[in-house]
Amino acid sequence: MLKRQSAAHWAAGGAAIVALMLAACQPAPATPAKPTEAPKPAAPAASPAASPGASPAASPSPAAAAGPQPAAKVLQSGVATTKAPANKRDLVVATAADVTDFDPHMSTAINNITISFQIFDNLTTRDPDLNLIPQLATEWKSTGDLTWEFKLRPNVKWHNGDPLTARDVKFSIERTYDPEAKTQVATVFTTIDKIDAPNDTTVVFTTKKPDPLLPARLGFYGGQIIPEKYFKEVGADQFNRKPVGSGVVKFVEWVKDDHLTLEANKDYWGGAPDFDRAIFKPIPEPAARVAALMAGEADIILKVPSDQVDRLNQSDKARAEGAFYAGLYVLAVNSKAPPLDNAKIKQALSFATDRDAIVKSLWRGQGIVPNGFVSKGDTVGYDPNRPPLAYNLDRAKQLLQEGGYKNEPIIIESTQGQLQNDRQMAEAIIEMWKKAGINAQMEIIEASVRAQKVTQKTFKGLWWSDPTSTLQDPDGMMYRLLGPGGSQDYWRDPEGWDKLGDQARFSLDQKLRDENYKKMQDIMMVNFPWVPIVQPIESYGVAKYLNWRPNPNQLFQLRKEVLTFSR
Amino acid sequence: MRQFLVRRAFRAVAALWGISTIVFVVMRLSGDPVPLMLPPDAPASEIFRVRAELGLDQPLYIQYLVYFGNLARGDLGRSIHMRQPAMQIAAERLPATLELALGAFFLAVVVAIPAGLVSAARRNSIWDNLAMGLALIGQSAPTFYIGIMLILVMGLQLRLFPISGRGQGTWLELGDWPTMLSHMTLPAITLGAFTMASIARLTRSAVLEVMRQDFIRTARAKGLSELFVLVRHNLKNAAIPIVTIMGLQLGTLLGGAVVTETVFSWPGIGRLAIQSIFNRDYPVVQSAVVLVASFFVLVNFLVDLAYGWLDPRIRYA
Repeated sequence: MLKRQSAAHWAAGGAAIVALMLAACQPAPATPAKPTEAPKPAAPAASPAASPGASPAASPSPAAAAGPQPAAKVLQSGVATTKAPANKRDLVVATAADVTDFDPHMSTAINNITISFQIFDNLTTRDPDLNLIPQLATEWKSTGDLTWEFKLRPNVKWHNGDPLTARDVKFSIERTYDPEAKTQVATVFTTIDKIDAPNDTTVVFTTKKPDPLLPARLGFYGGQIIPEKYFKEVGADQFNRKPVGSGVVKFVEWVKDDHLTLEANKDYWGGAPDFDRAIFKPIPEPAARVAALMAGEADIILKVPSDQVDRLNQSDKARAEGAFYAGLYVLAVNSKAPPLDNAKIKQALSFATDRDAIVKSLWRGQGIVPNGFVSKGDTVGYDPNRPPLAYNLDRAKQLLQEGGYKNEPIIIESTQGQLQNDRQMAEAIIEMWKKAGINAQMEIIEASVRAQKVTQKTFKGLWWSDPTSTLQDPDGMMYRLLGPGGSQDYWRDPEGWDKLGDQARFSLDQKLRDENYKKMQDIMMVNFPWVPIVQPIESYGVAKYLNWRPNPNQLFQLRKEVLTFSR
Repeated sequence: MRQFLVRRAFRAVAALWGISTIVFVVMRLSGDPVPLMLPPDAPASEIFRVRAELGLDQPLYIQYLVYFGNLARGDLGRSIHMRQPAMQIAAERLPATLELALGAFFLAVVVAIPAGLVSAARRNSIWDNLAMGLALIGQSAPTFYIGIMLILVMGLQLRLFPISGRGQGTWLELGDWPTMLSHMTLPAITLGAFTMASIARLTRSAVLEVMRQDFIRTARAKGLSELFVLVRHNLKNAAIPIVTIMGLQLGTLLGGAVVTETVFSWPGIGRLAIQSIFNRDYPVVQSAVVLVASFFVLVNFLVDLAYGWLDPRIRYA
């Protein structure tokens, strides 16, 4: 009796579970049902960023529209019954994390600069092909070894109607390194000696040493221009709450963790954007973010995990757009901790890493194997002829022997979920290294512990780092972190690498800089202060009716040149 | 009764003090907020400066005395990250969480008690098996799984409900309530699933327990209708354990909404707390915990009062 009763229990419960799972599986079949629509594997040769319409899903294939799947029909009939989006001219962007600060000089975090680059303009900016283009400045030139002159766009107005002048530029950039202002971008413009504003549309920067990268620095974080008059009237706190900029959108309202409403700046000097309002909503859970896009609750979603890219491309509502991360995911090395002070051991680690397998299985092809220490897309220092970093187990074993490796533990301190696939990659790499005979171990650390270890320089062996090429130049990535005094200063080569880097950093001769960075990479191929693993593609989900190209260097943009509706 | 109230108030204060002390110590032992705030290449001097500014360079016991002195005056400090009073930040998020918790609780009670009653009255019937099978899922499936499945099925495939956010407005403003209700449905089901399941299972077993008592037989023998016997004679006598678990579950709903709030991007206090923990924003974590703990204490107190109403033999002395 008792047996029968519990059997009936299980039967009813089991039926319910199976029904739930079946229902869940329908909208997104786990196995790709349509090979015709299989997205192209990321061919390393063709940058996805450079081909806006090349995504196979961008042009709706007739096969997909007439798909015999019942799931697709349900989706379509469902659309007809639910009401259309409240406002056709609303652009809804779902982010992974909410904004915390609007004052552009108070944060360099990606969730904040994503917003502040919309509200504020810089003197320069980048197009999706990474060319440095004019924004508030119309032209600039170096007028001597130590001076840069910028001509400003005339008749630009702040969102409150005040005119934007050269004095605002001087005020903004000087504020970044003013110790009283306590900004988070105090280290961006350390080369500047003084700033002059001889008239309303001219700014002259005088640097302490020749600074080839000043125009590039002004185009990234720290370089956002803020209104001197408004800022002084309301003070820093109120400015952070109600920012006034000159960018393509105006601030309207922010409800933390719920929504941020921005209104199109109809008087934007570059023309009004192709929407009336932009609404940013934080949706932390990736699967929920993808669902929001498919359900029409969002038009663009950020940070799409690589395993969701296929799902997006198979849908008839949206597509995935990718752009190379302007930087690399590397295992940074504490070259002071034995046995990692031995270059041969570090070379062995690199040879023992099967990066191809990592890109294929963990990234589902959404990335490339780096060919050195400079990210693809940088203007100088990147050598397209260099072969991708090699996997060679025999060579690794041989190097370990030559290096006199005595089975000392080599520890990867990995975060979990801080970078996409960080823990999964670390687990895979540990197994790969064990195959080469390395006593590899993993420890999981939390983000705040990692941050502490960065400042105290107490890493035990290797740890994840995602050096960003903020200036599209190795100076902004390699030298900033690995140079003397940098946050990853664990290895020094005063006569070689250090000297070349120092020379390149203060030279206006681009050819010499290019050569120096290439030589520096050769030195790094021996000493491996980083073990580069992957240059990922950052994926975005975009509604079908939207023409939009992501920018490879985290400069999220909504200008009309970059974004238009086609519905 | 008065003595009871005084004793309970004293215990409540002691509980809150204990909780805030534990949070204070654990948070400070687990990490430093300053390196997370500054760019990775910030010099050490900058880190020391910010740490001193926040008073984090003092020994732990000094920090604790300062914290406690302020707490006694009702001041929980300013958020390290958001540069606003921490209690204000936490309090702003409380309505969203309360709204969701009460919605989930209401749903749970309205579904679970009748389901438990039916299961008990029609024991081993198909209804009993179905209800208890579903309860088994509700109790064993992880919240995030239920949430994602509801999003995929009810939100994406059937397009019945919106899948993220709280919608505009609040319940207090009583604005566009159909929209608010539709936004709340999926998160409330997700959050309430566990509670619903445990109340249903407990109701069933408590009612079955009472069903064997003599007075039920007497009631039936007097010719009362089965429904009347079940609700009036049986359920009221089975109520004490049910009310206890309801009280406990309401507290859990308030504090346990973290996963649900994350999956459905619900701007509640659980999500705030978890973000603040990652950022080591001590004052906000402390404020959130104190707020939620206060509600927990209050609910427990109400449950204790309810016992007396349900069973007049219980006296508060």
